[in-house]
Amino acid sequence: MATINATVTIGSDITGQSVSISKTMQMTKAGTTLGLENTSGLSAKTVQTTTAFKLFGNADASTLKASKVYIRNTGSSSTDFFYIGFGEDLAAATIETIGKLYGNDWMLIPWDAVAATTHDIYAKASTAEVMTLEFMAFIE
Amino acid sequence: MATTTATVSISSTDLTPGMPLSISASTTLNQTGLTTGLEIVDMGYGTLTVADSHKALHEALGAADTSNYLYLCNDATEATSYIEVVLHDTVIGRLYAGDWMFTPWNQSDGDAEWSIEAEGGSCPYAYAIYKSSYVLPDSTQGTLNP
Repeated sequence: MATINATVTIGSDITGQSVSISKTMQMTKAGTTLGLENTSGLSAKTVQTTTAFKLFGNADASTLKASKVYIRNTGSSSTDFFYIGFGEDLAAATIETIGKLYGNDWMLIPWDAVAATTHDIYAKASTAEVMTLEFMAFIE
Repeated sequence: MATTTATVSISSTDLTPGMPLSISASTTLNQTGLTTGLEIVDMGYGTLTVADSHKALHEALGAADTSNYLYLCNDATEATSYIEVVLHDTVIGRLYAGDWMFTPWNQSDGDAEWSIEAEGGSCPYAYAIYKSSYVLPDSTQGTLNP
C-alpha cells in the first residue's frame, strides 16, 4: 500500500475577517486505514475543440469504494473554462454537470465508479481556443 | 472586493516507485467569467447520524451556470464511517473518515442540489460554499408594511 497525502488550504476575507480552512487527508481504501495503491497516473490533454472528451471511464475503478479524482485547468483565462461532469453531453439539462474549471481552477472529489456510462467523467471546453487539462485518478 | 484562494498539495513517495508524486496548485476564486472575487460564503458544521435520511447540504438557489465552489469534509474518526455525497440524483462518491473534497459547482439547473448521508457511523462534518453574487429570494411572508 502507498501513502498519499492531500492538503487543502482555503483563505478568504469575504466576511471582512480572514477565515482559513486547512485540512489534510491520507487517501485510504474504503473502511480501512490502508492506503490506496493504484493510480491512472498524472495526465495532461490539450484540446482545441468544444467536443467533450472522457477523462475517466467507470471501468477504471470500482463502485462503493474510495477512489478520488484530481482535475485542473492549467490555463489562466478568467473567461474560458472546462465543464466537468458525468456523461458526454455536458451542460445539457439531462447530464449531471458538476461545475466549471476556469484558468488555474482545480477540483479533488471522491468518485463512486458505478458500472455504468452515467459515471464516466467527461470534460468539455467552452471555446475552441487551445486549452489544457491536467488530471489524475487515485483508484480503488 | 474579497479575495478567496484555494490551494492543494498532493504528495506520495511510494505510489509510483522511483517517481515521487508532488502536485501543487493554487487558484483565486472569481465570479462567473470575471476577475472579481466571490462575494458570499456559507459555512457550517454538524453531525450526521446513520438514522438520518439524505440531508440537503445546499439547494440550488443560485442563478444558472454560475461559478460557485464547495468544500466538504468528514471529521469522523472511525474508518468505516463515511458520507455519501450526491449531486441531484447522482452519487458522486464517498468521503471516508478524514476525507475532504473541493469542487466547482455551477448550479446548472434547478435540481443541482447537494445532499449528504452518513453510513457506517455518525459523521461530524464541516462545509463551506463560496458563491458568485446573487439576488436574495423573495420573502414567503409577503409584504408586511404595504
